[in-house]
Order: sequence, then C-alpha cells, then structure tokens
Amino acid sequence: MTSTAYPAQSRGAVPLGRRCKRWILARPGVARLGVIALLFIAWEVAARSFVDKLFLSPPSLVFTQIHTVFETTGVPNALRVSAYEIGVAFVMSVAIGLAVGLAVGLHRFSQKSLMPIILLLYGTPQITILPLFILYFGIGPASKIAFGVSHGIFPIIVTVVAGVQNIKPILLTSAKSMGASRWHIFRWVIFPHMIPSFFAGMRLGMTGVLLGVLLAELYVSTAGIGYYTTLFTQSFNPTKLLGLISILAAMAILLNEIVRRAELHYSRWRSD
Amino acid sequence: MAGNDLAIRVRNVSHQFGEEGSTQFVRAMLETSLDIHRGELLCLIGPSGCGKSTLLNVIGGLLTPTSGQVLVGDTEVSGPLPQEIAYVFQENALFPWSTVIENVNLGMMFQGVPKVEREPRARKSLAAVGLSDFANHYPGQLSGGMRQRAALARALSLETGIILMDEPFGALDEQTRMVLGEDLSVLLSRTGKTIVFVTHSLGEAVFLADRVAVFSARPGTIKEVIKIDEPHPRKPGFMTSEKFTDLRNTLFALLHEEIRKAMEQSAASERAAGRDGHS
Amino acid sequence: MNATPTSTTPQGTPSKSAKRDRSALGSRLVQAAFVLVLVGLWYLGTTYGQISPILLPNPVRVFDELVDVLATLEFVSDLGVTLFELAIAFSISATSGIVLGYLISRSQYSIRVFEPLLAGIYSVPIILFLPLYILFFGLGPSSKIALGVTTSFFPIILNTIAGFGYVERVYVLSARSMGASDYQLFRWVLLPAAFPIILTGLRIGFTVALLSILGSETIASLAGLGHRIVHLGEGMDMARMFAYIAFAVAIALTLNTVTSSLEARARRR
Repeated sequence: MTSTAYPAQSRGAVPLGRRCKRWILARPGVARLGVIALLFIAWEVAARSFVDKLFLSPPSLVFTQIHTVFETTGVPNALRVSAYEIGVAFVMSVAIGLAVGLAVGLHRFSQKSLMPIILLLYGTPQITILPLFILYFGIGPASKIAFGVSHGIFPIIVTVVAGVQNIKPILLTSAKSMGASRWHIFRWVIFPHMIPSFFAGMRLGMTGVLLGVLLAELYVSTAGIGYYTTLFTQSFNPTKLLGLISILAAMAILLNEIVRRAELHYSRWRSD
Repeated sequence: MAGNDLAIRVRNVSHQFGEEGSTQFVRAMLETSLDIHRGELLCLIGPSGCGKSTLLNVIGGLLTPTSGQVLVGDTEVSGPLPQEIAYVFQENALFPWSTVIENVNLGMMFQGVPKVEREPRARKSLAAVGLSDFANHYPGQLSGGMRQRAALARALSLETGIILMDEPFGALDEQTRMVLGEDLSVLLSRTGKTIVFVTHSLGEAVFLADRVAVFSARPGTIKEVIKIDEPHPRKPGFMTSEKFTDLRNTLFALLHEEIRKAMEQSAASERAAGRDGHS
Repeated sequence: MNATPTSTTPQGTPSKSAKRDRSALGSRLVQAAFVLVLVGLWYLGTTYGQISPILLPNPVRVFDELVDVLATLEFVSDLGVTLFELAIAFSISATSGIVLGYLISRSQYSIRVFEPLLAGIYSVPIILFLPLYILFFGLGPSSKIALGVTTSFFPIILNTIAGFGYVERVYVLSARSMGASDYQLFRWVLLPAAFPIILTGLRIGFTVALLSILGSETIASLAGLGHRIVHLGEGMDMARMFAYIAFAVAIALTLNTVTSSLEARARRR
C-alpha cells in the first residue's frame, strides 16, 4: 500500500539507482514505450539472424523502404480506392443503422418482433457469403462497400435501439407532466439520450466496416489491395508486404481513433 | 467493565498518503495517541476524511503509518494479526460466490483453525447472530442487515480478543441500524471482547460505546474522549433517557464545528479540481 | 393472497398478463411471417421468375444438395480441417492468454503498462496479419491456426487481466486480515472472483477464432469449410455452394449457442 521505507530521511540521500527506479515506476507510459521498443528490437534481431530473408524483414528495412511500396504502380490508387470504400461504407452504415435503429427502437412491438431477427443476422458468420457478394457486386468497389455496410450496420442498430430503450421512464414521465408533445419528447428527451450509445455504436460500426472492407479487399486477388498482398506474398517480398500492411494498419488505427475521440466528446454527460 | 490491562496502545501515530508536493499528497492524520482497555467498546467518530478509518486500518495492521507505532498486548503491529484482531468492513466483504456458512468457514481456514473445529464454531456464531436458518444462502439473497450479521458471525468465529468495525451499519437504513445496534450490545456484553468501532452516527456512538473518541477535521487528531457510563447490555429505554440526550448533545457540540470545516475543505478541493483541466 | 388472474378481471377488461401474452404472440407471428415471406419470395423468384440459377439457385435444389452433402458425409473432411484448426488455435490462445493475463494482473503497475498496449494492438484489424502468415506458413492449416491464435488471444488476455486485476479490494483486504496465505488468496478469492469474467473472455475468444479461421480459409486456403464454399463458387456449382453456406452457418450458430450456454451455466453461481 503506502511506502514506509523512508519515513524521516532527508530527500537528498536517495541513491541514483533507486531514484531512476522510482521515476520509471511513476510513469507507466514510459515503461510501455520501453516494451514497444523491446518488441521492435526483437523483431529486428529475429529478422536479421534467425529467420530466412524470404519470410521476414526487419523493421529497419521495412520502414526505410516504405516509399518503394508507394512507388509500386497501382498501390497508391488501390489505397485511395480502399479509403474511399471505407468512407462510403461508413457513412451508409451510419445512415441505415440510425434509421433502422430508430424505427425499431421507438416502438415496443417492433423492437420485440424485429430485434431477434436482427440479432440472429448479427450473429451469423457473414464471411461465408463473401464469395456471393463478389459474385453479385463484382470485383470493384461496390462489393467491398456492400460487405462493409453489411458488417457496419448491425452494431449501430443494436446500440441505437438500446439507447432508445434504456431511457429511464421517469424522464419521459417528467417531460409529459410538463406538457411535451410526442415530437418534443423525441427531439429533446429521447434523441439526446441516445447520442452516447449512437457514438459507441459508430465506434463498433467503424471496426465492422474496416473488417468488412479489408476482408473483401484481401479476398479479391485480381484487383485492389488484395492484388498487391498476393503479389508481394507470391514474390516473397516481405519488405513490401510488411510495408503495405503497416500502411493499412496505420490507416485503421487513425480512423478508429477519430471515431473514439468523437465518442468520448459526445458522451461527457454520462456518469456511468 | 474495563480491565486494568490495555488491549491496544496507539503511540504518536501519524499518516500521510503520497509524497509531499505531489498531487496525491494527503495528510490523513496528525500525531494521535490512544489507550484502549481490554473489554471496552470504543467508538471513533468524526467528520468525513478526518482519519478515523485510517486509524482503524493502522490498528488492524492493514496500513503501515508514516510514523508512530501501535502495540497490541506486547506486540508491535506491522501487518494483520489474524489471531488477535478480526475486521468487519463497511461495504460487504462477504464473498458473493460462497454461501454464508462457507464464508464463515473460509475465514477460519485462513486463520488456521483445524478442519474439525470449523463447522461447530461456524454454527455457533451463526446462531449467535440469529442467522442459523440462512447458513446455505448466498449473500446476494440476503438483505443488507443480514449480510452484516453474517460478516459479524465470521468475525466472531475467529475467536479473537479484538474486533475492529469500520462503519458496519453505514449502508443500512435507520430501522435496521437500530435493531442491529441493540442486538450488538447484547451480544458484546456476553463475549467481553475489545471492540473499536468507527461510525458517523451520534446516536449509535452514544448507545453502543463505553468511550467515544471525537476526531477533528482533516488533518485529524483526537480532539476529546467522552466517557459513557452506562452498563451493558444497553436497554432500548436508554435511548430515550435524559442522560442519553445530554451525552448526544455534548457530542453534537464537539462535532458540529468540525463537520462544517470538513465540508468547506471538500468544496474547496472540488472547485480547484474543476478549475484545472476539465472542459 | 393474490387472486389468480385469468384473461379478464372482474370488470371484463383484459388484464396486464393477457396483454403481454398477446404481444408476445404477435411478435412471434411477425418473425414467422418474415421468414416465410423471405423463403417464399426466394422459391417463387427462382421457380417462376427470371432469376438466373447462376445467381440464385432454387431453394429446393439447395435443400437436395444439402441432404446429399450430409448423407454422403462429404462434409466430414472440410469440417474436420476447420474444427482441427479451431481446436489447436483456441487451446494455444486460451492457455497463453490466461497464464500471461494472470502474470500481468499481479501488479497494478504492470496492468497499467500492458493493458493499453494490448487493447491498442487489438484495435487493428487482425485480418491484416493474414498475408504475413501466408508468406510465413504457406497455405496449409498453420497459417489459419496462427491467425486464429492471434485474433482470440486478445479478448482472452484482456478479460483475464480484468478478472484478476480488478477484484474488489475489500475481498483481498478481508482475506488478508483473516490470515490468508498467497495460495489461499488465489484459490478462494481471486479465482472465484475472476472466473465469470475469464469465462466470457473465453467465449468471445472462441467465437472470434472460428470467424477468423473461416475468413482465412475463404481468402487463401487449400482445405476447410471456407475454402470449400469458395471452390464451389468458382466452379459455379451454386446450389451446392449454398448448401455448404447453410451448413457452415448452422455449425457456427450451434457452436455459439453451446459456448454461450456453457458460460451461462458456469456463471449462475
């Protein structure tokens, strides 16, 4: 619990080693960076000494050579198209998810009858019908967007419905007692109440959209990102492959972070 | 009532949390000394944050003070003393995954009681608190009052000379507190244990204690110790007597000023927290 | 003491329980209608409508193919591969996740160092690792197992850390005050307290492992259920493909239900 090791000593007498230790112990963020650094060093060492050059590339090479990935013809375009697909899929998921969520959530009956169906669909492994999506929508952006939307709408619907349903009845009673009309109640009580859940749903929705779009992209090996991952894999080029993956990972982290910050900002009034 | 020997001696104990100068620095308790007699029920009362729970934790060996020492009998306290001291917490410390009687048995197992003795001792202490019929219930199935009875049964089964209680009735409603208070008085008059008891409630302190130690606002120390000269078990009639009212008024006068000070302190720290870094 | 409510109160108006029964019935009807309409349209569209069998096979044919797949036990080899990959992947991630999670949970400091790190890595779509694993392990089961382990490791370790690391302090203090040893504390306090949360982590890990294994089989594989579906699709054997899709979905849903009920049953205490 509390340190009692130095009850009455003067502060100047603490040796350097112990001071360093206490400094690190007070800053877990620094220790975390240390762990990350260690992981990168391990990767570097493994790639240089233990593992065949064909299978793994050290980070020093991957990140200094990352411009070659961009210089490979077609990669910047593929990245741009993927970003476009993610954006469109996300906007569509949010719009559809919000609309369906409100429609289902606002009435007890529709919620009870339709939610089980929605939850069932949410729980099915959509990956099994990915080939069908490609078959129906082709190998271009449409199938990627469709698959992304298909993954993104469900968490949004579920959280919007929950946000609408979870409102404390006392708040509704209180509004009605002050003479609020149905529209008033929706606009000023239900809607603001549902916003934090909606943003939480959008965060999950973004994760879903990223998953859907990337799955579809990786599946289609004749165009887009999937073409290049297949190319780099089959030509045993781990440097470029890792470079491409890092770029995509960075993109995903950035998008997730943006949505997460938005969620935090709009959920400030929640005490739970 | 009180024997000649001292069960617990608190010598110049003070405590602070965190390093001086850091944001988490709190001077919880100034130098405090106290003698607790064997067989007496001593109450610690004071405003929020005054250090009374800190002192209880120090006595129980759950916290090592930044200076000073506590002696239990002849031993200096440097950690929990499960053979001497049993601790009853405010919020429920009953393990929710075990039944009432399993909880009592677990306590004895931790202490080191041989297996054959556990069951009869458990049954005895559950009977003493009136929970014999609920031995196989889970804490989640019991009311707050019953849960605290079970926690007390667990403490009793450890057969220690000293029991420490940190606002044991804090989470309960007025009526349950009243009933439990009366039962506690009866129970303790029979067992002769030394009890140290932290509470917020003036009435509870006067009703149950032999002596009441009043704390000042943070950083706290013992301002005064009031003696309650009334034999145990305390009758319900005591609560409506004039003696009770006088004692209660004395306590109120002592505490009132300290409570005001404590409220102003916490309001000031809330304002400070609101000013820096919160949009 | 209570009068037993039947469908009407003495005044003749329907009681609350009757209203609830009616709405439950109503929602069931809507769900049944939904399914019937969907299947109905499917059947009518493919039998009498202009929908090409290359796009959407007839449900009757799909059913026939499914029966054939089941009867000839053709599914066994692919299902076997998928379940094998799942079993190995889950065993590895469960043991490593729980052990490492426990070790990390032992100090608040290490929790603060490692937990955000693990949560951060988990926020990257793990599927991106697949091409790497293909490069490394080839198209065989190893790459699928590797991806399955990577995906399911995180929910398991994070839940284990949450379970052990955030045991209510009062339980630990109480046990310590009664003289509990380190082993006693672990066995009687930490483990039962953490158990429900860890179990949830295991269920999530299992589900996620299955999904990523199916996904990697779909994208790049030589065997397994995912691969079979793709293979049939490329051969334009639509009816059989749909049959396998239905089969895979059924398997996934069954496994989900089983793990959920196992979790619920273990948590009931």
